[in-house]
Amino acid sequence: MIRSAYSHPVAEVEITELSAVPLNVVELLSKAHHPKAGAVVLFSGEVRNNNNGKEVAYLDYEAHQIMAAKMIRTILDDANKKWPLNIAIAQHRTGKVTVGETAVVVITASAHRSEAYQANQYIIDRIKHEALIWKCEYFTDGSHQWGGNCSCH
Amino acid sequence: MKIQVFAVLKDYFDREFDLNDDITDIASLREHLSRLNTSAQGVLQLCRFAVHDEFVDQTYNITKNDTICIFPPSSGG
Repeated sequence: MIRSAYSHPVAEVEITELSAVPLNVVELLSKAHHPKAGAVVLFSGEVRNNNNGKEVAYLDYEAHQIMAAKMIRTILDDANKKWPLNIAIAQHRTGKVTVGETAVVVITASAHRSEAYQANQYIIDRIKHEALIWKCEYFTDGSHQWGGNCSCH
Repeated sequence: MKIQVFAVLKDYFDREFDLNDDITDIASLREHLSRLNTSAQGVLQLCRFAVHDEFVDQTYNITKNDTICIFPPSSGG
Protein backbone atom coordinates (compact mmCIF):
# COMPACT_ATOMS: atom_id res chain seq x y z
CA MET A 1 0.00 0.00 0.00
CA ILE A 2 1.22 3.48 -0.75
CA ARG A 3 1.49 5.82 2.19
CA SER A 4 4.07 7.07 4.69
CA ALA A 5 5.61 10.25 5.88
CA TYR A 6 8.01 12.26 3.76
CA SER A 7 9.98 15.38 4.52
CA HIS A 8 7.22 17.36 2.84
CA PRO A 9 3.49 16.70 2.97
CA VAL A 10 2.51 13.93 0.60
CA ALA A 11 -1.04 12.71 0.65
CA GLU A 12 -1.63 9.11 1.62
CA VAL A 13 -3.25 7.13 -1.16
CA GLU A 14 -4.36 3.58 -0.52
CA ILE A 15 -3.66 1.45 -3.57
CA THR A 16 -1.78 -1.76 -4.19
CA GLU A 17 1.37 -1.57 -6.29
CA LEU A 18 0.45 -4.71 -8.26
CA SER A 19 -2.92 -5.74 -9.59
CA ALA A 20 -4.06 -8.98 -11.18
CA VAL A 21 -7.22 -7.33 -12.47
CA PRO A 22 -7.62 -4.51 -15.03
CA LEU A 23 -6.33 -1.15 -13.82
CA ASN A 24 -9.00 1.47 -13.29
CA VAL A 25 -7.23 4.53 -14.65
CA VAL A 26 -10.13 6.89 -13.95
CA GLU A 27 -10.41 5.72 -10.34
CA LEU A 28 -6.65 6.09 -9.86
CA LEU A 29 -6.77 9.60 -11.29
CA SER A 30 -9.59 10.45 -8.92
CA LYS A 31 -7.22 9.72 -6.02
CA ALA A 32 -4.56 12.06 -7.38
CA HIS A 33 -6.19 15.42 -6.81
CA HIS A 34 -4.65 17.54 -4.10
CA PRO A 35 -5.46 21.09 -3.03
CA LYS A 36 -1.80 22.13 -3.23
CA ALA A 37 -1.21 20.54 -6.64
CA GLY A 38 -1.63 22.63 -9.76
CA ALA A 39 -0.39 19.88 -12.02
CA VAL A 40 -1.31 16.21 -12.29
CA VAL A 41 0.59 14.04 -14.77
CA LEU A 42 -0.74 10.59 -15.62
CA PHE A 43 1.23 8.06 -17.61
CA SER A 44 -0.60 5.00 -18.84
CA GLY A 45 1.55 2.29 -20.37
CA GLU A 46 -0.68 0.36 -22.75
CA VAL A 47 -0.36 -2.78 -24.80
CA ARG A 48 0.15 -2.03 -28.48
CA ASN A 49 -0.72 -4.46 -31.21
CA ASN A 50 2.72 -4.79 -32.77
CA ASN A 51 6.39 -5.13 -31.96
CA ASN A 52 9.35 -5.59 -34.29
CA GLY A 53 7.01 -6.19 -37.20
CA LYS A 54 5.03 -8.91 -35.47
CA GLU A 55 1.38 -8.72 -34.46
CA VAL A 56 0.96 -8.86 -30.71
CA ALA A 57 -1.98 -10.84 -29.33
CA TYR A 58 -1.45 -10.03 -25.65
CA LEU A 59 1.17 -9.64 -22.96
CA ASP A 60 1.56 -11.65 -19.82
CA TYR A 61 3.23 -10.04 -16.81
CA GLU A 62 4.95 -12.01 -14.09
CA ALA A 63 6.23 -10.46 -10.87
CA HIS A 64 7.86 -11.38 -7.63
CA GLN A 65 4.97 -9.94 -5.70
CA ILE A 66 6.67 -9.03 -2.44
CA MET A 67 9.91 -7.69 -3.83
CA ALA A 68 8.34 -5.90 -6.80
CA ALA A 69 5.86 -4.09 -4.56
CA LYS A 70 8.64 -3.10 -2.19
CA MET A 71 10.77 -1.82 -5.07
CA ILE A 72 7.92 0.29 -6.44
CA ARG A 73 7.42 1.81 -2.99
CA THR A 74 11.14 2.58 -2.82
CA ILE A 75 11.06 4.23 -6.25
CA LEU A 76 8.09 6.37 -5.22
CA ASP A 77 9.88 7.30 -1.99
CA ASP A 78 12.97 8.29 -3.96
CA ALA A 79 10.88 10.44 -6.30
CA ASN A 80 9.30 12.13 -3.33
CA LYS A 81 12.74 12.95 -2.00
CA LYS A 82 13.90 14.39 -5.32
CA TRP A 83 10.83 16.50 -6.13
CA PRO A 84 8.22 18.28 -4.00
CA LEU A 85 5.33 15.99 -4.92
CA ASN A 86 1.90 16.06 -3.38
CA ILE A 87 0.89 12.71 -4.86
CA ALA A 88 2.90 9.81 -6.29
CA ILE A 89 1.06 6.68 -7.36
CA ALA A 90 2.14 3.66 -9.38
CA GLN A 91 0.25 0.51 -10.12
CA HIS A 92 1.35 -2.33 -12.42
CA ARG A 93 -0.63 -5.20 -13.86
CA THR A 94 0.23 -8.84 -13.54
CA GLY A 95 -1.16 -11.64 -15.65
CA LYS A 96 -2.66 -11.44 -19.13
CA VAL A 97 -3.12 -7.93 -20.54
CA THR A 98 -4.68 -7.56 -23.96
CA VAL A 99 -4.08 -5.00 -26.69
CA GLY A 100 -5.31 -1.55 -25.66
CA GLU A 101 -5.41 -2.40 -21.97
CA THR A 102 -3.33 -0.54 -19.42
CA ALA A 103 -0.27 -2.36 -18.11
CA VAL A 104 1.06 0.30 -15.76
CA VAL A 105 -0.07 3.66 -14.43
CA VAL A 106 2.08 6.35 -12.85
CA ILE A 107 0.49 9.52 -11.51
CA THR A 108 2.36 12.44 -10.02
CA ALA A 109 0.96 15.68 -8.71
CA SER A 110 2.83 18.78 -7.65
CA ALA A 111 2.41 22.52 -7.40
CA HIS A 112 3.81 23.03 -10.89
CA ARG A 113 3.98 20.82 -13.97
CA SER A 114 7.76 20.63 -14.33
CA GLU A 115 8.22 18.57 -11.19
CA ALA A 116 5.25 16.36 -11.95
CA TYR A 117 6.53 15.58 -15.45
CA GLN A 118 10.10 14.92 -14.34
CA ALA A 119 9.09 12.76 -11.43
CA ASN A 120 6.65 10.78 -13.52
CA GLN A 121 9.29 9.88 -16.11
CA TYR A 122 11.79 9.05 -13.38
CA ILE A 123 9.31 6.68 -11.75
CA ILE A 124 8.26 4.81 -14.90
CA ASP A 125 11.86 4.51 -16.13
CA ARG A 126 12.95 2.95 -12.85
CA ILE A 127 9.94 0.66 -12.63
CA LYS A 128 10.63 -0.65 -16.13
CA HIS A 129 14.29 -1.28 -15.46
CA GLU A 130 14.46 -2.24 -11.80
CA ALA A 131 11.21 -3.67 -10.48
CA LEU A 132 10.98 -7.45 -10.52
CA ILE A 133 8.33 -7.53 -13.21
CA TRP A 134 8.69 -9.35 -16.50
CA LYS A 135 6.63 -9.20 -19.62
CA CYS A 136 6.14 -11.98 -22.11
CA GLU A 137 4.78 -11.01 -25.50
CA TYR A 138 2.47 -13.48 -27.17
CA PHE A 139 2.14 -13.02 -30.91
CA THR A 140 -0.72 -13.93 -33.21
CA ASP A 141 1.55 -16.42 -35.01
CA GLY A 142 1.69 -18.48 -31.81
CA SER A 143 5.22 -17.53 -30.79
CA HIS A 144 6.21 -15.75 -27.63
CA GLN A 145 9.14 -13.67 -26.42
CA TRP A 146 10.18 -12.58 -22.95
CA GLY A 147 11.02 -8.93 -22.38
CA GLY A 148 10.40 -8.11 -26.02
CA ASN A 149 10.27 -4.36 -26.34
CA CYS A 150 12.12 -3.24 -23.25
CA SER A 151 15.29 -1.24 -23.67
CA CYS A 152 16.83 -2.82 -20.59
CA HIS A 153 18.22 -5.75 -22.55
CA MET B 1 18.05 -26.00 -1.35
CA LYS B 2 15.01 -25.02 -3.33
CA ILE B 3 15.35 -23.00 -6.51
CA GLN B 4 12.66 -20.73 -7.96
CA VAL B 5 13.17 -19.22 -11.39
CA PHE B 6 11.27 -16.46 -13.12
CA ALA B 7 10.36 -15.27 -16.60
CA VAL B 8 12.63 -16.49 -19.41
CA LEU B 9 14.44 -18.88 -17.08
CA LYS B 10 11.29 -21.01 -17.10
CA ASP B 11 12.12 -21.79 -20.74
CA TYR B 12 15.26 -23.55 -19.46
CA PHE B 13 14.35 -24.89 -16.01
CA ASP B 14 11.30 -25.98 -14.04
CA ARG B 15 9.74 -23.06 -12.24
CA GLU B 16 10.69 -24.63 -8.92
CA PHE B 17 13.03 -27.49 -8.18
CA ASP B 18 15.29 -28.90 -5.50
CA LEU B 19 19.06 -29.15 -5.68
CA ASN B 20 20.87 -31.50 -3.36
CA ASP B 21 24.33 -30.94 -4.79
CA ASP B 22 27.09 -29.59 -2.61
CA ILE B 23 26.82 -25.94 -3.64
CA THR B 24 27.99 -23.43 -1.09
CA ASP B 25 27.56 -19.99 -2.64
CA ILE B 26 25.71 -18.09 -5.35
CA ALA B 27 28.66 -18.04 -7.73
CA SER B 28 28.86 -21.83 -7.57
CA LEU B 29 25.12 -22.12 -8.04
CA ARG B 30 25.29 -19.97 -11.18
CA GLU B 31 28.06 -22.16 -12.57
CA HIS B 32 26.19 -25.33 -11.68
CA LEU B 33 23.00 -24.20 -13.40
CA SER B 34 24.99 -23.11 -16.45
CA ARG B 35 26.37 -26.64 -16.70
CA LEU B 36 22.91 -28.16 -16.21
CA ASN B 37 21.59 -26.22 -19.18
CA THR B 38 24.25 -24.59 -21.31
CA SER B 39 21.59 -22.70 -23.29
CA ALA B 40 20.83 -20.69 -20.15
CA GLN B 41 24.44 -19.69 -19.56
CA GLY B 42 24.08 -16.26 -21.15
CA VAL B 43 20.97 -15.19 -19.28
CA LEU B 44 22.27 -16.62 -16.00
CA GLN B 45 25.19 -14.22 -16.21
CA LEU B 46 22.68 -11.35 -16.17
CA CYS B 47 20.55 -12.68 -13.32
CA ARG B 48 20.12 -11.40 -9.80
CA PHE B 49 19.59 -13.74 -6.86
CA ALA B 50 17.52 -13.38 -3.71
CA VAL B 51 16.98 -15.30 -0.49
CA HIS B 52 14.12 -14.53 1.91
CA ASP B 53 12.97 -11.66 -0.33
CA GLU B 54 16.33 -9.89 -0.18
CA PHE B 55 18.96 -9.67 -2.89
CA VAL B 56 22.16 -11.57 -2.19
CA ASP B 57 25.55 -11.28 -3.86
CA GLN B 58 27.87 -13.90 -5.32
CA THR B 59 29.48 -14.66 -1.97
CA TYR B 60 26.28 -15.46 -0.08
CA ASN B 61 26.70 -18.74 1.79
CA ILE B 62 23.84 -21.04 0.86
CA THR B 63 22.28 -23.25 3.50
CA LYS B 64 20.37 -26.40 2.67
CA ASN B 65 17.03 -24.91 3.75
CA ASP B 66 17.34 -21.79 1.62
CA THR B 67 14.91 -20.99 -1.15
CA ILE B 68 16.84 -19.11 -3.78
CA CYS B 69 15.01 -16.96 -6.31
CA ILE B 70 16.72 -16.23 -9.62
CA PHE B 71 15.67 -13.15 -11.55
CA PRO B 72 16.47 -12.31 -15.17
CA PRO B 73 16.68 -8.61 -16.09
CA SER B 74 13.38 -6.86 -15.50
CA SER B 75 11.09 -5.88 -18.35
CA GLY B 76 8.01 -4.34 -16.85
CA GLY B 77 6.08 -1.39 -18.20
